[in-house]
Amino acid sequence: MATATLVLTRIRVGNGLWTVLRIVLVLAALALVAYPLIFGGDVWAQRISRGAIYAIIGLSINTLTGHAGQISLGHQAFVGIGAFAAAFMASRLGAPLGFGLGAAALVGAITAAIVGMVALRVSGLYLALVTLAFGMTAETTIFNWREFTGGGAGASAPRPAIVESDFSYALLCLGVLALVLYADWRMVATKTGRALAAVRNNEQIAATLGVNVTGYKLAAFCFSGLAAGLAGGLFAHWNQVVQALDFEFQVALVWVLMTVVGGLRSRLGVIIASAFFALLPLTLPNFLASLPWQPPFLNEAVYHVLPPFIVVVLLLIVLRFFPGGLGQLLAPLTRRTAHKNGDRG
Amino acid sequence: MRKKRHLLKVDGLQLRFGGLQVLDDLSLTVDEGQIVGLIGPNGAGKTSCFNCLTGIYQPQDGRVLFDGTDVSRLPTHRRARLGMGRTWQNLGVIDSLTVTENVMLAQHQRTGYSALAGMLGLAGTWLRERELRRDAAEIIDYFGLEDIADERCGSLPYGKRKTCDMAMALATDPKMLLLDEPASGLSPEEALGLVETLRELRDRLKLTILMIEHHVPLVAEVCDYVYVLNFGKLLTEGEPDEIQRHPEVIAAYLGGAAAEPEVNETDEADDTTQVLRASQSPGEPPEWPLQPAAEGGAHGAA
Amino acid sequence: MGAFIALGLFQGAVYGLLAVGIVLVYKAKRVFNFAQGEFGSVAAFSAFYLVVALGLPYWVGVVGGLVAAVGTGLIVERVIVRPLESASRTIMLVALVGVALFTIAITVLIAEPIPRVMPPLIGGSGVNILGAGILPQQLILLAVLAVLAAAMAWFFKTDLGLAVLASSQDIRAAQVVGISPVAISRLVWGMAALLGGVAGLLYAPVGIFTPGFMTLTMLVPAFAAAVLGGMTSLPGAFVGGISIGIVQNLGIYLLGQQLAVPGAAELGVFALLMLVLLIRPQGLLGKEA
Repeated sequence: MATATLVLTRIRVGNGLWTVLRIVLVLAALALVAYPLIFGGDVWAQRISRGAIYAIIGLSINTLTGHAGQISLGHQAFVGIGAFAAAFMASRLGAPLGFGLGAAALVGAITAAIVGMVALRVSGLYLALVTLAFGMTAETTIFNWREFTGGGAGASAPRPAIVESDFSYALLCLGVLALVLYADWRMVATKTGRALAAVRNNEQIAATLGVNVTGYKLAAFCFSGLAAGLAGGLFAHWNQVVQALDFEFQVALVWVLMTVVGGLRSRLGVIIASAFFALLPLTLPNFLASLPWQPPFLNEAVYHVLPPFIVVVLLLIVLRFFPGGLGQLLAPLTRRTAHKNGDRG
Repeated sequence: MRKKRHLLKVDGLQLRFGGLQVLDDLSLTVDEGQIVGLIGPNGAGKTSCFNCLTGIYQPQDGRVLFDGTDVSRLPTHRRARLGMGRTWQNLGVIDSLTVTENVMLAQHQRTGYSALAGMLGLAGTWLRERELRRDAAEIIDYFGLEDIADERCGSLPYGKRKTCDMAMALATDPKMLLLDEPASGLSPEEALGLVETLRELRDRLKLTILMIEHHVPLVAEVCDYVYVLNFGKLLTEGEPDEIQRHPEVIAAYLGGAAAEPEVNETDEADDTTQVLRASQSPGEPPEWPLQPAAEGGAHGAA
Repeated sequence: MGAFIALGLFQGAVYGLLAVGIVLVYKAKRVFNFAQGEFGSVAAFSAFYLVVALGLPYWVGVVGGLVAAVGTGLIVERVIVRPLESASRTIMLVALVGVALFTIAITVLIAEPIPRVMPPLIGGSGVNILGAGILPQQLILLAVLAVLAAAMAWFFKTDLGLAVLASSQDIRAAQVVGISPVAISRLVWGMAALLGGVAGLLYAPVGIFTPGFMTLTMLVPAFAAAVLGGMTSLPGAFVGGISIGIVQNLGIYLLGQQLAVPGAAELGVFALLMLVLLIRPQGLLGKEA
């Protein structure tokens, strides 16, 4: 009896401590974002928007690959379709931003649901191949369809007055990220998260426990596509112009690697890795230019290649030495969440 | 025994994989409130039968009636929702989830909120989650797993995971439990506890149980009725006592080498089980000293 | 239209050649080798450097290119594949995608992303087949594909090949035969890299080539070819490659030229891939699962 009380108290104290620690952690993260946002001017506002957009994309891939165990190598297609839909709504139909983003999310979800139906028949490595081929086809077919995307010149996606400034746009992006994060958190913490864990590990067991395997797989695709489409819509207005070039299929590959580097099923790891990768192409040229010694081979093309190069190097390191990704390194900080959601850390 | 209504009725199941006849015209009936055993040598098609009942395999022919409805064409999760709970020979736990989460996973069909509501984080879902956690804790307590409730199943010893599997089957709120070798791999004490548990499930929770079991002593101890399967066909059926005396059953287990057992009084059952035990593969769990202890204990519990 | 079919036939030979390597790795290791195209790129760039930049004889370039490709294959095997042997197939696939992107990035860093022209193995003007100008190089390609597909099919009938197959089912089975799993892994990846190298060397002179030329445009059709052929069948890879080439070019002709649909080639390949996976997942020449 006495020991039981002791244990209980210890757990309670532990819980309280954890809550405090996690609140501190969240506040620190917010401060980390708020400081450059407030004092960094437009440059940093733009960077933060981009980081938030990439974080949404990372979470989208994490839902599909991390939680549902379905690989997608064509994710750039969902994002691209969302981006073009938003641009189309804004520039051709003159719809308000909310409708544009709604349309982007919807189109992304529908596209992903169609791919998801394929995934019901085709699994594992074959699904990787199908999504890759789908991404390539979307890149060359849909994104080059002149009526929808404006062909090579791209479609313009002007920002409405309310989010005209980079600062307010960054707030919008962070707000959407917060929403996606909340949905992702609740998804994992409620029956959907448990059902997806079961589906990922063993579909037969999941089904005998009353889980509609087909339904949850499709739902994962839909949510993933919805978030990806939303990110695409935000990207369209961030860049204010959308081109097929932005959604080459290699981009999807890099995104998947970025998510794995962050650590599948680790929310914090995925966000950090995504934001890092989003900022890399923007900050790298400046960083290299500021070095006292200039490597001789630097040029525009190299700047284009370096970010994926760095991600790949990180990936290979991660897979070799800590397969749980960044999330595994962060585990001491977030153990309670990781404990709840992860597979083997 | 046959006065209650049928909960499960299986009619003429035919299952083939390519040229291999796995189940051949299998029919069986389980009445409400019964514990029914399904025994037979390895490869007799027992687990395949379970897979047909739960809808994981689609038999070529035959019907499955559960609780008065024809479920032959229903997908697995719909059958589960009608009240078919199941455990697995190689365990139906999800290793990456904790014991509590596994049990909560099993409560999937009675969460009472939609997946979308959960994702939106509506207030009701928070409350329900808390209730589900409390219910899960109750089930976990019942099975004595409370010490390891927050451990990942993958890191637990076999016996605990097996118990967790049973707890999950129960958490689906079933009318009927399909247990696939509930005693395999359990220590003698754990197996002894199983007898009590099964009786309690039947008597207190009014559950109907169909179980596959290699352990004839357990089957003899706890089952009301037994079906014997051999090469996908029903060899015989009857009450445990008759089955143990049945020459064909012994022949099936020993590959036809068995002599007719002497019809002797009480020792006879023991002899047969002794023979049956000897015939089991070396991978089977250790000898189970149920008989000596059970004489007193089992009758006391019944 | 005849010209498109002829073009497709010879285009398909490259897909087939890559598909043979993909099938080899899949048969032996149950891994989708997304780095297969990059073995070809490495060989082509090495050969280009030796022949064009250093002015060495052509055969030195060929040998150098193949050595570079096999070396890359062995490094990939040692650094990526073997440590991930026990990881899930999906992680392995992600890692191999990483290898492909890594190699492309390295090529860009070292060689700059400018288009290059590699001299052909045999010069001379093209021959006219069904109204399409086919280079002698492409004729060689088709012939080499046929020879290599047959050679690989034969390989899997030898004792060594059977040991490789056995090890894909059960590591111990190969050990019983007396071959270490490590040796088999090296052998498979070395052979796959060699096949990729041959494909790269033969295809580079057909047009201009840029970093990643084998992966970015060739790899998905090559995989489609392997799947169409049944993923484990070497004659299947041959037939699949040529079919994909022809379908792709018919797509360009019917959809692209007649209906002005953008990306007709990719659309054709995607449609065929989906058709195969949904209707006949075991492929044309694959065995029933």
